[in-house]
Amino acid sequence: MGVELELQLVNSRDCDLTRAASDLLSQVAKRAHPGEIKPEITESMIEVSTGVHVRYDTLTQELRAIRGVLLEVAEKLNVGVCGGGAHPFQHWSDRRIMDAPRMKHVSQLYGYLAKQFTVFGQHVHIGCPDGDAALYLLHAVSRYIPHLIALSAASPYYQGVDTAFESSRLNAVFAFPLSGRAPFVQTWDDFNAYFGKLSSAGIVDSMKDFYWDIRPKPEFGTIEIRVCDTPLTVERAAALAAYAQALARWLLVERPHRIAEDLYLAYTYNRFQACRFGLGGEFVDPVAGTRRGIGEEVLATLEALAVHARELGSEAALGEIESIVRQGNDARWMRERFADSRSLPDLVWRQVERLRARA
Amino acid sequence: MSDLFFLPDLASAASQLPWYALLVLAAALAGEAVQRWLRLPRLLGWIAVGGALGPHALGLLDQAALDALQPVLDLALGVVLFELGQRVDLSWLRRNPWLLGTSLLESAFAFAAMFAVLLALEVTPLLAAVAAAIGISTAPAVVLSVTRDLRAQGQVTERALLLTALNCAYAYVAVSVLLAWLAREYAANWRIIVLHPLYLIFGSLALAAAFAGGALGLLRLLGRRRDAQFLCVLALVVLAVWAAATLNLPVALALLGFGAAIRMLDRRRLFVSLDFGRVGAILLILLFAIMAARLEWALVPAGIVAGGVLVAARFAGKALGVLALAPLAGLPLRKASLLALALTPMSGVALVLVHDTSRLYPQFGPGLAAIVVAAIAMLELLGPLCAHFALVRAGEAADEGR
Repeated sequence: MGVELELQLVNSRDCDLTRAASDLLSQVAKRAHPGEIKPEITESMIEVSTGVHVRYDTLTQELRAIRGVLLEVAEKLNVGVCGGGAHPFQHWSDRRIMDAPRMKHVSQLYGYLAKQFTVFGQHVHIGCPDGDAALYLLHAVSRYIPHLIALSAASPYYQGVDTAFESSRLNAVFAFPLSGRAPFVQTWDDFNAYFGKLSSAGIVDSMKDFYWDIRPKPEFGTIEIRVCDTPLTVERAAALAAYAQALARWLLVERPHRIAEDLYLAYTYNRFQACRFGLGGEFVDPVAGTRRGIGEEVLATLEALAVHARELGSEAALGEIESIVRQGNDARWMRERFADSRSLPDLVWRQVERLRARA
Repeated sequence: MSDLFFLPDLASAASQLPWYALLVLAAALAGEAVQRWLRLPRLLGWIAVGGALGPHALGLLDQAALDALQPVLDLALGVVLFELGQRVDLSWLRRNPWLLGTSLLESAFAFAAMFAVLLALEVTPLLAAVAAAIGISTAPAVVLSVTRDLRAQGQVTERALLLTALNCAYAYVAVSVLLAWLAREYAANWRIIVLHPLYLIFGSLALAAAFAGGALGLLRLLGRRRDAQFLCVLALVVLAVWAAATLNLPVALALLGFGAAIRMLDRRRLFVSLDFGRVGAILLILLFAIMAARLEWALVPAGIVAGGVLVAARFAGKALGVLALAPLAGLPLRKASLLALALTPMSGVALVLVHDTSRLYPQFGPGLAAIVVAAIAMLELLGPLCAHFALVRAGEAADEGR
């Protein structure tokens, strides 16, 4: 598994997003650090990614090391770095697109959508033995997408208002033409045929043009789960990745689901419930037709995963997941802090401090 | 009584108020024109109109009118420095001490370079030192105004604002100390020599701390509503300007300190960061126009060579200071050069310093004035252009000066 995190860059004065990515990157480039630290579409975002990990503890270590380097440089430049799925009060029209050909192209193609896409997600890569297994995993994991959304949700505020959603970030992704779910193809050959058709029709150039919730990444031999908001701490990011890893192992080893188009019956409904209500949302089992809370669903899944977590050495991570269900996700933490101070800038600064704090 | 008693009495109607409005109007129009057609900073238009209408050119604004505008000028300067003070984050110096080093170095080098040039021009050492000390400061109004015009953000912008705030403070402290030496020249007794600078420096700081403490207390009661905070802070700034002027303290230093202290003492982030928006814009227009009107352009030819050399020396000193520590302070050399360029402007504060100096010690004023005025006149036009160019080239402008 591997993790990519998009982080927010804010100034220390009014805590609004600021232009700092290039300055930060030029300083980071001078230091040795694990993983990668890369630019994103606007100057107010930065992306960090880890190498390939089998174990949860080494993943956590690497994320902490990257955070260390990043914060050291950020401190020198007086820039705050924080997690969270969206900046609570930035105005998208103030954003500035990175000076790089691909970014300029995206911006030209999508217009204001590109700037509105200033949202911050966590992407989790899970390695697969082969292409067919990847597609099995992709369809099977889609049933659990609401879990990951609800557990990671950290964007209740957007453009200065409380959206009532726990994760408002995903609403910004919907606007893109190639967003949503991947097509229902079950073998790697079928997938290539599908890609070939779109690509010869000139709709896509590469996998990067798909904004799906889960997409295969053939270069890495992984599937990439893209629905998580960036959590407020790197420790939580590692726990979410470990949850996805255990889930994948369980699904691939025990194959508990038969893949059928019916798996997607309740997909958008469940996804909406997770975005809107978080762990308190409702989950409809697409096959059995039963419904229960997303939180309960996660707890039930954790029981099924316990054996696999022991194999993978990630029991601690699943313990952290359980505590999110019991004590609330980051969106809840953010709402509580805001209720405390009634100030969104103050909330952002607490997010900055939260990322900095050693767990 | 005249038969035509119902016609207005034009002579008495021509009081000050409409003239100020016309000044603002003309300056604003010129500013927009400069911005739209030349794509240059608006404030060049304001300066041009002020200079043209002033007593040393067309004379529409005479000396009496300018004197009457002095309180407005003080207020505008106070607002600008307050805004600068509350924009800079002094705790950054703790996190990146090389910035403090950069600031001390650029100020020291600029001072040394200007001092050497003036000595070579056979200015007496004390006068040379005062002029060099005045030249340390970067024009806060220019840097703020250009930053706001371009909606610039980034390392060059933030560092230019921080270094400007610091070098203004150094300039005030240095000038206060040098004025004490000057007092000795003029045979004042030792108490004045010691007490006057102490009074100016610590009086300003005490005033700043008192106002910041009071402001935060009020804000705690008011809450975070932006409108309420704006009115409250604006009123306090006016009061602080008045208090500083009444106590014979330097308005600029006191207000700079007020702004910085309110930011530093505000641990609970009560204070919503604010800029003075449209009110600030009017004050800025008046500030630049009045400053330009007061500039004695007639002195420029006499001092043009000396002034030019002085400007070059000042720039070289600042650039050397900024570049020397750039790698340690975490800034690539290209951006460091742009930062040095952004520190070029010199105007308002320097002129006020010359003015204050010459008011306190009339014998001293004119000799120095020609050189400084010529340098200021050059930088009045070049400075904003340099700052504008630096921020645009650094890629920190929101919309490339559109």
